[in-house]
Amino acid sequence: MSEEPVQPPEQSSAAGDPGEHPLSVLLFSWMRTKRFFRALMIGLVLVGLGLIGAEIFLASHRIKDVTGVPGFYGVFGFIAFALAVLSGWPLGKLLRRPEDYYDRRSGEAGRDR
Amino acid sequence: MTVEGLANWLANTNPGFFIIAAALLVPFAKDVVSRAILLVGGPGVALVALINALGLSINLSTVKVLGLELVLYRPDSLSFVFGLAFIIASAIIGVYSLHRRDPLQDSTAMIYAGSAVTAVFVGDLISLFIAWELTAISSVFQVLAPRTRESGRSAMRYLVFQIASGMLVLAGVCMFAAATGETQFALIAPSMAGLPVGVMDISAPGAVLLLAGFGIKAAFPMVHSWLQDAYPKASETGSVVLSAFTTKLAVYALARYFAGLDALIWIGAIMAVLPVFFAVIENDLRKVLSYSLNNQVGFMVCAVGIGTQLAVNGAAAHAFAHIMYKALLFMCMGAVMLRTGTTKATELGGLHRTMPWTTLFCLVGGASISALPLFSGFAAKSMVMSASHADASLFVVWLMLLFASAGVLEHSGIKIPYFAFFGHDSGKRPQEAPFNMLLAMGVAAALCILIGVAPGWLYQFLPYQDSAMAYLESELWTPVHVIQQFQLLVFAALAFMLLQWRKFYPEEQAGLILDVEWIWRRGAPDALAALAKPFWRAGRALGSLVVDAGTSMRATGRQMFASDGWLAGKVPASASAIWSLAILGLVLVVVLFG
Repeated sequence: MSEEPVQPPEQSSAAGDPGEHPLSVLLFSWMRTKRFFRALMIGLVLVGLGLIGAEIFLASHRIKDVTGVPGFYGVFGFIAFALAVLSGWPLGKLLRRPEDYYDRRSGEAGRDR
Repeated sequence: MTVEGLANWLANTNPGFFIIAAALLVPFAKDVVSRAILLVGGPGVALVALINALGLSINLSTVKVLGLELVLYRPDSLSFVFGLAFIIASAIIGVYSLHRRDPLQDSTAMIYAGSAVTAVFVGDLISLFIAWELTAISSVFQVLAPRTRESGRSAMRYLVFQIASGMLVLAGVCMFAAATGETQFALIAPSMAGLPVGVMDISAPGAVLLLAGFGIKAAFPMVHSWLQDAYPKASETGSVVLSAFTTKLAVYALARYFAGLDALIWIGAIMAVLPVFFAVIENDLRKVLSYSLNNQVGFMVCAVGIGTQLAVNGAAAHAFAHIMYKALLFMCMGAVMLRTGTTKATELGGLHRTMPWTTLFCLVGGASISALPLFSGFAAKSMVMSASHADASLFVVWLMLLFASAGVLEHSGIKIPYFAFFGHDSGKRPQEAPFNMLLAMGVAAALCILIGVAPGWLYQFLPYQDSAMAYLESELWTPVHVIQQFQLLVFAALAFMLLQWRKFYPEEQAGLILDVEWIWRRGAPDALAALAKPFWRAGRALGSLVVDAGTSMRATGRQMFASDGWLAGKVPASASAIWSLAILGLVLVVVLFG
């Protein structure tokens, strides 16, 4: 059932690639422009700052603990995400093995069980 | 049978039985229409039967076997929400499977679904055990379905865990029943606010064994690897089937018998956090989803441990929402598997060009599991977070769950859609998924959005309906709550973009990630072999001694008894007479004086 892979076109355009599904052209092709990445990042920064501003406005009179400090969720989300991703560097080195690791023989006990 | 009699029969029969009955007919269905009628009609009849049970909390069907009263059908608001989710999932999976005909897989998938539905509606421990075992045995065929050497071995490892779980449950049931004489959960302990949840005390005879049996099936830490081992090796439909029932049935059992058990809070929190780290470095996207499943079940187990009305509602709502969005994500990866033959991130990318509908549904699944407001995860997970936040002594647990929430966005909200459908262009231009798959994904996606936009629809079915509705009115949609959730996700997404931009995001690499299963697949066998080596040498030396002794005895025997041996030589008649007299004399002495 699998399709034969074909070489990707040299350049993808916002108008879509030859043979691309019309829905993909409509929904996703604009994401392939060079400005999209930068615009998205700036947009996220602005939205994030706006959300902190809104929280300050809404929660200024009833901060009970650290979780109520405006921006706590944003800072926590940023750090937690970065920590999870960056842990991939040492963990990958420590835990990654060849795909056939359990199929390889090692002395008397290397057989897959 | 009259219409009234039929309605009565429907109303008093465990809905799971209808799905199992349809499953037994599936192998005889030759064309797609009759298969569709059975695969969707079975759950359909079950749903009609279930509607009658809404609001009930009584034994509707009992049978006496060997002097024991088995409660075959006892619905209440806890079992209702789990049963409803299982039945809907079963129907969706039926549609998803229509593109190919595999009678064994289709039939066992329905038996599996039907036995899971049966399990949540039975009212005693013995019936629970029987349905529990049926789920174990029927589910293994989903792992075997690809009929490869790898899937066969994985299926055997899966079966070891499932049977171990069943044996522990059986031992626990026997000990408890022998000591107390009671097996019906509604009679074991007083109900919590009118609902029998957390009915078993951990100090009761056999309770620890029951907890261990449930724990294996829920994939508690250290006994979780069967899940990541088996699910990615199942067929494109098999992994969807597996994702829906086993672990959620365990969550139901934990809620029914052990809600409020403190140990579950920490077990759940660890379950929620640990898989995040493995999912980050895993290359096989179906394995990433398996880690993600483990992480999500952690939220439910934690909520069950907290055990308040809000927390039990949260566990049930999360289970319902999770069944839908996890099935959706597995369906998307199943479609990718069908069309490209792989779900390895290193071999995928850019599929949105020719699979836009699958991409769109995957994004809905990703948004739902990440708990983006207006998607199902937000409506469900918020209750778990609020329940843990409400108790100041659980602050660390709450932080762990919050960390896990950011982790979910990483591995399921971003990694799955990004590496499969966007990211680097793999050059693959597969066809869009078959229509039946798209239809099933569309229904699941619609449910994810429905629950997110109108959570009251789900909340009305939750175990403590009043508490759920109060939460909906006073907490869920408060501006601060919504803003804080958006903050968490927006800044986490920003972290992703920054890490990608600065090339700090670890590249996907082919390879196998070691997990706890290393202990019994490599570590323990190697250690045992090393320990046995001296004994093996000593054994070989002892063996050669025995062989040498045997050889010399055989040679001596041959010398004595061979035709030309010592005993075959000619002896004079006088010597024979003397020997005979001597032997007779010796016998006489022994008889007279012995």
